[in-house]
Amino acid sequence: MAQSLDRFKATFREEAFELLAQLEDKLLELESQPLNGELINAAFRAIHTVKGSAAMFGFDAVSGFAHEMETVLDLCRGGSLSITKEFIGLALKGRDQLRQLMEFEDGVPADIAEESESLLRRFKEFSAKATGSSPTTMAPQDKGPAGGAPAGSAPILQARTYRITFKPAGDVFKNGTKVLNLIEELAGLGQADVFPHMEGVPRLREIDPEACYAWWEILLTAQVDENAIRDIFIFVEDQSELRVAAVAEGDGGEIRRLGDILVDRGAVSAGALRDALGSQKRLGEVLVENHVVSKPQVESALVEQEHLKKVQQRSETAGSIRVASDKLDALVDLVGELVTLQARLAQTSLDMQDGGLASVSEQFERLISQLRDNTMSIRMLPIGSTFNKFRRVVRDLSIELGKEAELLTEGAETELDKTVIERLGDPLVHIIRNSVDHGIEKPEVRERGGKPRAGAIKLSARHSGAYVLIQVSDDGKGLDRDAIRSKAIERGLISPTQEVGDQDLYQLIFEPGFSTAKTVTTVSGRGVGMDVVKREIDSLGGSAQLSTSPGAGMTVTLKIPLTLAIIEGLLVRIGSEFFVVPLSSVDGCIEVLRDTLASMGRRRIISYRDELVPFVPLRSFFSSEKDGGKAEDEPEIEQIVIASAQEYKIGLVVDQVIGDYQTVIKPLGRLYRDVDGVSGATILGDGTVALILDVNRLAFVVQRESGIKAALGEA
Amino acid sequence: MQTGQSPKIINLHGPLTIDRSSSLKVEIAEALESHDNVLLSISLVEELDLACLQVLYAAKAEAAALGKDLHFLGSVPSKVTNRLKACGFLRGPSEHAEGFESALVGF
Repeated sequence: MAQSLDRFKATFREEAFELLAQLEDKLLELESQPLNGELINAAFRAIHTVKGSAAMFGFDAVSGFAHEMETVLDLCRGGSLSITKEFIGLALKGRDQLRQLMEFEDGVPADIAEESESLLRRFKEFSAKATGSSPTTMAPQDKGPAGGAPAGSAPILQARTYRITFKPAGDVFKNGTKVLNLIEELAGLGQADVFPHMEGVPRLREIDPEACYAWWEILLTAQVDENAIRDIFIFVEDQSELRVAAVAEGDGGEIRRLGDILVDRGAVSAGALRDALGSQKRLGEVLVENHVVSKPQVESALVEQEHLKKVQQRSETAGSIRVASDKLDALVDLVGELVTLQARLAQTSLDMQDGGLASVSEQFERLISQLRDNTMSIRMLPIGSTFNKFRRVVRDLSIELGKEAELLTEGAETELDKTVIERLGDPLVHIIRNSVDHGIEKPEVRERGGKPRAGAIKLSARHSGAYVLIQVSDDGKGLDRDAIRSKAIERGLISPTQEVGDQDLYQLIFEPGFSTAKTVTTVSGRGVGMDVVKREIDSLGGSAQLSTSPGAGMTVTLKIPLTLAIIEGLLVRIGSEFFVVPLSSVDGCIEVLRDTLASMGRRRIISYRDELVPFVPLRSFFSSEKDGGKAEDEPEIEQIVIASAQEYKIGLVVDQVIGDYQTVIKPLGRLYRDVDGVSGATILGDGTVALILDVNRLAFVVQRESGIKAALGEA
Repeated sequence: MQTGQSPKIINLHGPLTIDRSSSLKVEIAEALESHDNVLLSISLVEELDLACLQVLYAAKAEAAALGKDLHFLGSVPSKVTNRLKACGFLRGPSEHAEGFESALVGF
């Protein structure tokens, strides 16, 4: 029991964090739309649910604090407290405090309790202003129902009637759930007719006194949406059957036919009802016979009826379930193992030259590929879930720096692998902080420059092949080319006489320790940040690009692979070593005579589709040559894989191109982690390890070491 | 073993919550075994949760199956009736045991 309670507490924490994230989101939206009643209701519901469930699981500090916040939000709902910037600031601090308090179940450290007290005093001051009472004498008021409109407040949602079926799981009492409290809370949302079903309760000798047998059907008419109803059952929904169906809009709307209600409730089957009705004339026939309506009118009404029925059935079947992310990770690992094993099966069937086995292996491969795609799609999450965090960063930072800035988002629905999203958080925060600190000017400066007082930072995401492009752009002052150049010279990154293109110069801000800020603030300017961004994006197998126009702003574009777990790769061989080139960066393959390559000497440039492409012999890059000389197994005809690396193309010279390969990415050990040009490893069908090439890094290293730019100029 | 003649009165008191449901089951089962008429005095009940309410329903079904009588006795605390009303269990006046019993849905 204690173990299962711990599990429920963990679920509670997880869901409470989600609710607090929702609360933050709603508060930030409220700041720009202070009169939006729906937002106030949503914020109220979030805090109310946190309060209720915290109390249920014994998080008393959380529930107490949430209660006070709820009281103040309730005053906002009632219209007696207006929503100001100052209030939102306080409410956001309250949210953060709740998040902190969630960490302490049995007693809060004194300093944190003190913070809570000080915040609560400020909340009370706010409510005192609204109610005209003294802050210390304000009585806590619990309006109870989540989402129920308090007296005096304008109705925001139209009243709807819902039929709710709630069948708690047999072991629902074991996690401490008080089922009757839930029913009471639900009934409190509006006008409710509650029907308990006790027919499942067995005789005394058979009953398990700690099991739940009762279930309910509830008809509720209230000014709430379905979410408000589901919120009440949030902690038992997973183990219970909960059906919420809207029966009618408004005050019950049209009175439903007895037959329909009986069929809906399952009291009579549709067939039995049809038989009973078959013995009497249909309403439509009677009306037509009496010349009250025409036949087409009846037919048209029947079509409408049929449509509504279909729509209702569809909405009832749609649904989703919540799965712990570690289970999902375990599933991906297993799929990865299956992919590896399949490669081995394919290899074995090839070695044995057995037609039957080959056919099974092919079918197996098709199925595994579908399984892989399905599993990967389950891991995809909309990136918008992290956008709220950034809105808060922009808000807090602009206030701190005396600036005005707004975050606009686009493409929040763009999906990315869960792990990638998690790792993108910090780099994006760095970029956005930089934009607010260095990019956006002070309001008065912006006004003088003919710009609106408030700067805009736009965060957008969109798909592009096997990548997602994430852009952060601002309408600030842009990068100072001269400042970057002199800093680069000062740091010895370029020589004073060297001509460097704008694009290459701007990329230098991703170098460690590079900052042109004249003053170091608490926010940025220490030159730590952009290099961290670059490193993290590189480790994700992505790339970062920067563009700017002086006075008009700057755009950072991150190109991130959709997933990090399993990729399509091109398997190549050099001597006895195997390598995988990510297929998404492969542009094409060409064949070249070894002697032709040898005759080029150090000018390693070939022509590919009317374009000059630098190439790198991987044999020498990875020092596969024996004793520095020519390897005996070097083929007469070499293969060059043309790969795209950011805006450049690069040729990779290999001995043999084997073919496409489903690659399960395994991390590199400590020894290999810092090897240039390699991003991971995979296991081949026969158990051999193949290294996965990091094309971006290879291109960078090749450019740096062989001065390709100069070579291009010569060519 | 005593049978029939005098009714067995069980004085229920305090909170009837899940912690009490198992002992309540045993107590009523023993009473039904030894008596034809069992009366449950509920005036002193402070709280009645679903687990114990189910035990009371199960007891009623058991009594009916055995051909014995099981009824409530005394006045019913408003704290108990208010909650049961909100959860749909009570239809009609239920301040006294008799009314309470007939108002309890499906009892």
